[in-house]
Amino acid sequence: MVIVGLVLLGTGLVLAEPASAAMARATWPTRAPATALLVWQGLGLGAGIAFLSSGVLLALSSPLLLSAALWGITASLAVRLLGVLIITGVRTLRARRRHRQLLDLIATPWPDRPGAAVLDHPTPVAYCLPGLHSRLVVSRGVLDMLTGPQLEAVVAHERAHLAERHDLVVLPFVAWGATLPWLSGVLRSQLAVAQLLEMRADDVAATQCGAKHLAAALHRVSSHAGFTSGPSVSDFGSAANRRARRVLSR
Amino acid sequence: MPSLGELERTIMDVLWRASSACTAKQVQDSLITRDLATTTVLTVLGRLEHKGFVVRQRVGRAHQYRATATREDHIAELMTDALGTAPDRTAALARFLGGIDESERVTARRLLG
Repeated sequence: MVIVGLVLLGTGLVLAEPASAAMARATWPTRAPATALLVWQGLGLGAGIAFLSSGVLLALSSPLLLSAALWGITASLAVRLLGVLIITGVRTLRARRRHRQLLDLIATPWPDRPGAAVLDHPTPVAYCLPGLHSRLVVSRGVLDMLTGPQLEAVVAHERAHLAERHDLVVLPFVAWGATLPWLSGVLRSQLAVAQLLEMRADDVAATQCGAKHLAAALHRVSSHAGFTSGPSVSDFGSAANRRARRVLSR
Repeated sequence: MPSLGELERTIMDVLWRASSACTAKQVQDSLITRDLATTTVLTVLGRLEHKGFVVRQRVGRAHQYRATATREDHIAELMTDALGTAPDRTAALARFLGGIDESERVTARRLLG
């Protein structure tokens, strides 16, 4: 049992560190984001299960004092992982409900598009509020700035997030990234998953509406002055450029 | 029969336009386009109060209602969420652009130590 426990502990360490580093370095995920997302979920789940079960096995086969310590560590890890997931989930739901209630009071329903609304603000923003009562929101700034087909590409991107419930995919990574920030594997996965979900939504939008229009929309929205403030503008532009280049080269 | 959501919007608009707190009767009277029963107005005001958009205060024997924040404040709040500029963010919404890059930067900063 000790040997199995140690093997599991080693497996957890390999998944959490070298395996996640290799995944983060790999280039194939940009070509197959959906597959890469499954791999990240597998890595996360695998590492978690390996750590917890190794803790239980080692605790069962250790002398009394060590056993008590191992039980304590394992139990507190399990409670923490689950607790944080629940707390983050509840907080997210609460923030979403508040945002949705405000939207329903303030935003103008978008004619002929159920669940979509226009926010009367000159700054270009487009986003979706996931959940059972999902909302898709664009600001007047976006409507003024994009052509019809470009707007359709933005809408298709957001609808892909909603339809594929990307919010549920990202939730555990966000939750655990917040509690275990010292584990670089956890942070790496959080970063990679966020990017892969955007790629996935971009792929759906490019397939439905044409990569050309999506790329143009990315350029236009990102290049709008005043969209973000300070040094973030350049990061932001380069991220949009990367995404535009990727969909065009598909 | 208009939906509850529509009624909530209409009544909030009245309260946002009003310069001072209103009684349910005053709200009802300013709804020129709609003929609503007082009980309906009270129900909708109660819902808005429950959601935190309206506060009720007792003045003498009447209850007065006013909006907790201006329309502009609420728009600003929505935009703060939408642009991802609030300090404590959850994964509440998915942006076409912006939020991901923010988390990317934070994450990169932490990875770099």
